Amino acid sequence: MIIEDDEIIANELSKLLENNNYEVIILKNFKDALREIFEVAPDLILLDINIPFINGEALLQDLRKESNIPVIMVTSINSETDEALSISYGADDYITKPYNPNILLLRIGAVLRRTKTNYNTNGNELTYKELKFDYQKGIIKRDDIEIELTKNEMIIFSYLLNHQNKIVTREELMTTLWDNSEYVNENALTVNISRLRNKLKEIGYEDAIDTRKGLGYILS
Amino acid sequence: MKFSKYFKDNLYKLWLFIAMMGLNLLIFLAFKVDRSVILSSTFLYVLSFLLILFIPYFRKKKFYDDLLANIASLDKSYLVLETLAKPEFYEGELLYQALYEINKSMNENVRLIEEHLQDFKEYIEMWIHEVKIPLSTLALISNNHRDKFDKKAKLPLKRLEDYVDQVLYYARSENAEKDYLIKETDLSKVIKNVGLKNMDDLLENRIDYVVEDVQHKVLTDSKWLEFILGQIVNNSIKYKRDIASSYIKISVQDEEKRTTLIIEDNGIGIKEADLKQVFDKSFTGENGRNTNKATGMGLFIAKNMCKKLGHKIAIDSKYNEYTKVLITFAKDKYYDVLK
Repeated sequence: MIIEDDEIIANELSKLLENNNYEVIILKNFKDALREIFEVAPDLILLDINIPFINGEALLQDLRKESNIPVIMVTSINSETDEALSISYGADDYITKPYNPNILLLRIGAVLRRTKTNYNTNGNELTYKELKFDYQKGIIKRDDIEIELTKNEMIIFSYLLNHQNKIVTREELMTTLWDNSEYVNENALTVNISRLRNKLKEIGYEDAIDTRKGLGYILS
Repeated sequence: MKFSKYFKDNLYKLWLFIAMMGLNLLIFLAFKVDRSVILSSTFLYVLSFLLILFIPYFRKKKFYDDLLANIASLDKSYLVLETLAKPEFYEGELLYQALYEINKSMNENVRLIEEHLQDFKEYIEMWIHEVKIPLSTLALISNNHRDKFDKKAKLPLKRLEDYVDQVLYYARSENAEKDYLIKETDLSKVIKNVGLKNMDDLLENRIDYVVEDVQHKVLTDSKWLEFILGQIVNNSIKYKRDIASSYIKISVQDEEKRTTLIIEDNGIGIKEADLKQVFDKSFTGENGRNTNKATGMGLFIAKNMCKKLGHKIAIDSKYNEYTKVLITFAKDKYYDVLK
């Protein structure tokens, strides 16, 4: 759920999130925000601090009295004090405008993973067809073949898995890697992807990752 | 208060006395007064002259001496009035009163200017928050409509954000009041955020962002440090050399009493003649003049912010080889105890 009074931003945000397979609702009635929130019962709220009638921080305080819905504060005020204040009111994360859309998506994913136990990236095991991916151990296995992945390959593979059948841009992969403190360059990304492809081939999934020229990669 | 000058200033009194004494002498001689009377009256003349000369001198000397000495020793000399006892002679009272009035009117003026400055600062901060809204909108639109929006638009958009941030932190760092919050901060997180923010720029310029083991915690304001580090990384990007393997290497040196963050690049470096001035306001140096992209504010603001946060910032460079910036954080023993 998006709580944001700037209509263009709210619409573009919702487009961004919908493109990434999230269901989005934009809050309409700021006067009675709390009731609308409870009616919708969202998995996560993106809350702008500067909203009409009641400010974001006050709304967050009211909300926290009754609910633990994850909240990411979104604000154009970039200051440690405000951040500390928001976190103390119970915000799960704090993002400052102007945000990088890829980073915003990563943060949303991270908060959801942290707060919701049955979210699909949680748990130590992901599957792709008959392949099992043990994130904790860093191995992929099918039947009795086991192959170890490097940290970078794991990051790339799990991102592709979470966005299966959808084109993933190099930029998204790059942002995810850097967000995990793996500061690779363009060459290294290409090398990592081709290594990952080879490993998938070894385990029997040749051509699992397809290159879409000028767009990115797709795992299908 | 120097006696010689005071005496010179009062020389007319001496002439007056001598003239009076002379006249008196003539009168005494005309009336054939006895010699002893002449002598004793001359003695009285001289005595009263000396008294008239010295009594006011000693009355005033203390006040004026204190005034001058205190003005010289105070670093805020306009506060001198607070340090003085009220003088007990009329001239001094006049001066004291005048100084008091001048002080008061100056204080009012200063207060007005401070208010203006504060208003201006608040307006700038508000303006920056306002301007960030359309900037976010643009960032979102450029991301959502890749077909219509050239990817190239991202870099100028980021530049725009950077310049806006520079104004914000300039306003904050120049401000007298405390605008930061010092707490324990993960260096690795700050380095990651700066990396993410500059990722496109770094990749576009083929500069490797090499981060060594930086799992250290320091006492700082993370937003401020992110800005400071951002300025340094921006400079490294701006002043890279045309070589195959450009890099920015970030490492941490942990010692008993301090932690030092080291940012090293293999860019064009800074000539020795310019090195001392890089932290000066509006200083661009030869590099800045050659690239024409420098405002000369980045490092100046960074230095100011470091000063406020209590960090040391230093720079070392060899032209055509490297530039190295070191930021030193003190470790707080008291804080360790609290932990």
